[in-house]
Amino acid sequence: MKQTPLLEIQDLSIGLKGDNIEYDIVRNVNFTINENEILAIVGESGCGKSLTALSILGLHASPPLQITSGSIKFGNRDLTKVSQEDLRRVRGAEIAMIFQDPMSALDPMFTVGTLLRSAIRAHKKVDDATAEKISLECLADAGIEDPRRRLAEYPFQLSGGVSQRVMIALALVNNPKIIIADEPTTALDVTVQAQILERLKDLKKERGMSIMLITHNLGVVASIADRMAVMYTGEIVEIGSVENVFGKPQHPYTNGLLGAVPRLGSGSAELIPIVGRVPQPDNLPSGCTFVDRCGRAVEKCSTQRPELVSQGSVDVRCFNPFK
Amino acid sequence: MKSIISRVVSTLLLLLASSLAVFAAIRFSGGDVTAARMPASASAEDRELFRRQIGLDKPILEQYVTYMGNFVTGDLGNSLTSNAKISTLAGEKIRNSLILGGSSILIVFIVGVPLGMIAALKRNTWIDTGVTSFSVAGMAIPNFWLALLTIYLFASTLHWLPSGGQGGFKSLILPALVLSAEGIALTVRMTRSAMLENIGQDFVRTLRAAGLSERRIYFKHVLRNSLLPIISLAGLRVGQVVGYALVVETIFGWPGVGQILVNGVLRRDYPIIQFFSLLLVIAVTLGNLFASIGYTLANPRLRK
Repeated sequence: MKQTPLLEIQDLSIGLKGDNIEYDIVRNVNFTINENEILAIVGESGCGKSLTALSILGLHASPPLQITSGSIKFGNRDLTKVSQEDLRRVRGAEIAMIFQDPMSALDPMFTVGTLLRSAIRAHKKVDDATAEKISLECLADAGIEDPRRRLAEYPFQLSGGVSQRVMIALALVNNPKIIIADEPTTALDVTVQAQILERLKDLKKERGMSIMLITHNLGVVASIADRMAVMYTGEIVEIGSVENVFGKPQHPYTNGLLGAVPRLGSGSAELIPIVGRVPQPDNLPSGCTFVDRCGRAVEKCSTQRPELVSQGSVDVRCFNPFK
Repeated sequence: MKSIISRVVSTLLLLLASSLAVFAAIRFSGGDVTAARMPASASAEDRELFRRQIGLDKPILEQYVTYMGNFVTGDLGNSLTSNAKISTLAGEKIRNSLILGGSSILIVFIVGVPLGMIAALKRNTWIDTGVTSFSVAGMAIPNFWLALLTIYLFASTLHWLPSGGQGGFKSLILPALVLSAEGIALTVRMTRSAMLENIGQDFVRTLRAAGLSERRIYFKHVLRNSLLPIISLAGLRVGQVVGYALVVETIFGWPGVGQILVNGVLRRDYPIIQFFSLLLVIAVTLGNLFASIGYTLANPRLRK
């Protein structure tokens, strides 16, 4: 079954341009988000996953960061080329975003109700009663138990979990097609994390929306995502269905990541860390960027940059993948 | 609410303490009180008689109690120089000072806040550089010099505005502007840095991601968050304006509290100094009180 892509990112590179520096942080990224699916982007801190996500809505700090090549196709538009005003019309209305630290991501001076109303009115002309009705619905959909009480509360009166649910409600008010969630559970307690993830999974089902989930937590990926992309030094090194990537990781980095996660019931008790360090983005090896840490490197790995190619069930950027 | 009540109580205590301080300061500051009323040829006995008449021979604490007793019953005493009742003098002086000080504070915020916002919005452009340079100048130039400069330019050279006195709106312009210069400068800088700090906050990104327009984010959310330091500054400004009013009113011959107080000090007119300096203390503490009430009302964390 061929799925319809909602969002298509092609050959996207994002560079840092300063007075004396100029190099790409995100390089030649390709992926699609299909209708009604959860795509997880996984990688270590600094691998460019958040930057990729922010750039979709043009929210990256520009300058000094800027898109140096590629396109972000959404419907019949290329979001890298549209005007600021057109981009604003997409934000929140068609693609919404929720962020990592809910406590600092909500304006402290306004009540939850006012924030939700402002978000609704950024795109629709509605009266107060309608705005309140939508707000209450979305708060309930985000899993808030007493939505009416929350409307009158200020962000500082909310717990971390409730704040994150308010953020989700804020993303839901205009019923977008895609929600980009940038590490939505990292700042929360473990029990709250599970509830929030469950909520996101349900929202995909109830509202038929797609979610792009940025995370460094493989457990999160396994529990809710349909497909996953693994990023390393600004590149996607492996992308495919969660089942296939987890079942049979082909890129040595993915394989190493999975080997470094403790699992209940697995035979060996020992965790295998990936040796070495992540190279700096301004000083990458000329061939494969993983070459210095890779146990399967062959001769051309240090001279030639591998392309992302289909290896049957998944796409892999490697000359010598696990078969 | 509780914080506001405790603020009011401490303000009253402060007023009481400062009335005592002012009272003592005048009596220990030296100078001859009789010079205000008596010719240079007056004999030592006559001078002593005059001192006794106005009660200066009594112990200072007793003088203070008598004075406060009269004060609360509404008897503010008479000027030693002109023998006019202070309660009749006060009304006009207070009104004039309120006109000058009030318009100055208004100018400070009407000019300072938008300029600071523009500087922040156009940061690192020539507009920003221009506004910040002007505000540095505004802080560096002493107001007595600025007063003389504006009088020279707008009054003696261009003849656009009167050099002093209280003759309607035209005569208000120069003293009000001079009195506002430093306040505008400080407000511009405070507004600019608060706006810049808040525009980098996480919540701004959230609002952008929700599709709010830049204008709305800037003028509603970032400005609202920047208001707290601006309100605190307003409280401090009242104190400054009161202090500077002494200089500016004297230079421009503006018949307000500052001017009568300076003249009173020069002539050792005790009742005048007593009442009008207490009035300044009241102005400063009320200014601070209003600012902290405003701060409490503007900050949801304190209001709840």
